[in-house]
Amino acid sequence: MWLPTVLVFVGGGCGAIVRELFMLMLGRYSAAFPVDIFAANVLACFLLGLVTGLHQENRASANAMFLISTGFCGGTSTFSSFIFGAYSEAMKPENLLLSILYVIASLVIGYAAAWLGLRATLRSRRA
Amino acid sequence: MDAVDILWVGLGGGIGSLLRWQIGRIIDGWAAGSSFKVGTFVINVTGAFLIAYISALLALGWEHRYGDVISSLVLTGVLGGYTTFSTMQLDAVKMAGAGRHGLAVVYLVVTVVAGLLAVVTGVALARA
Repeated sequence: MWLPTVLVFVGGGCGAIVRELFMLMLGRYSAAFPVDIFAANVLACFLLGLVTGLHQENRASANAMFLISTGFCGGTSTFSSFIFGAYSEAMKPENLLLSILYVIASLVIGYAAAWLGLRATLRSRRA
Repeated sequence: MDAVDILWVGLGGGIGSLLRWQIGRIIDGWAAGSSFKVGTFVINVTGAFLIAYISALLALGWEHRYGDVISSLVLTGVLGGYTTFSTMQLDAVKMAGAGRHGLAVVYLVVTVVAGLLAVVTGVALARA
């Protein structure tokens, strides 16, 4: 039990730091559409799809899943900042539409990224 | 922003991820057999409530996410690590992959609506 605990902790910590680096690099461009949170979430969705596909193909171990899936992808992506940011911007009348666009774009592109990641690794077996 | 700030985020992200892992296991144990991803749903909605409550209580804007211990360790670190966007999306992809496209859409929409209601509740309670 100690090894999965360490892997989830280290992966989650690194993921959260990557998300903060996204904020530091991209944050200045974001107003009602926070591209930093959006980019961190979409990246994590793609990576999670990828590693889950590898796991299903028995090419990623259970420990790799603890580190990358439960840890890193979970730590990089965030629902709390996503939804609180969307709410806060929607409360400003001039930003309401952009905030709705942010929610829809995050849901649609995040979904597509997870699907693409999963497809990419599952298809590689047949290639 | 400095090196210590990044360490706070990393520490919080590690703690939040461990909480998500263990709380998710417990809830999914209770909800075994459910096609709705109850664990991820409960984690995301409670995390949304907490970030709104703490931010409103301390009058921190949503874009204020690092630079002091509460923002870096608790909001960006623990709550960011605790909640997850990627698992929610992968859950939806798996539902659709099993032919349950309607359930996937309902799951995403219900999570977003419940998350918004949790945020509204958190802000209201903090200002009460």
